[in-house]
Amino acid sequence: MDSITTAASVVAAGLAVGLGAIGPGIGQGSAAQGAVEGIARQPEAEGKIRGTLLLSFAFMESLTIYGLVVALVLLFANPFAG
Amino acid sequence: METGSSSETLLNLDSSGESSSTSLDEYVQLQRRIFHTTLIVSVFAVSISAFFFPLQTSISLLVGALSGVLYLRLLARSIGRLGKSSKAVSKIQLVIPVLLLLAVAKLPQLDLIPALLGFLLYKPSLIIQSLLES
Repeated sequence: MDSITTAASVVAAGLAVGLGAIGPGIGQGSAAQGAVEGIARQPEAEGKIRGTLLLSFAFMESLTIYGLVVALVLLFANPFAG
Repeated sequence: METGSSSETLLNLDSSGESSSTSLDEYVQLQRRIFHTTLIVSVFAVSISAFFFPLQTSISLLVGALSGVLYLRLLARSIGRLGKSSKAVSKIQLVIPVLLLLAVAKLPQLDLIPALLGFLLYKPSLIIQSLLES
């Protein structure tokens, strides 16, 4: 792998993780805040709130995982490496 | 009078604790349903791939599916702790896809695409559960 490809891969890996984590991070923070407030107001609905939070977190975190996968593929299994 | 009101309060506390534990049972049952559905989907996908593709692909799919189940288990545990022993959802579950990709990169017996598809096999069960919930 030549040096330009290596440098571009490393920069792209950093951007993939960094930019890909911004949206899910904000979303997860506000979802967790809402869930904790909801549990504090209605403790009898705790199981339902936690269940909904689990489903929404799993969907949101997959966006982070996609960025992570792209970054790790670029770093460890780069298809552009000659 | 005071004794009566304090016993009433006690009763209310008891009933709210009971409803909270019943509610948490609901969460545990949801987790169980998701894991069972994920295992069924994984077994189905691995058996289909064993029939149509080489053994290496099936093994990669199986490893990915197992790591997906482990990821989901860690995520459920960290959400279960939210508000009780931690103020934020921990990110320890993100170690699982990293380890999976490192294993795929280091071990020549594993393929990248089947392992990633296997990891994402928890998604259909989540979609099924969210459709059932709504």
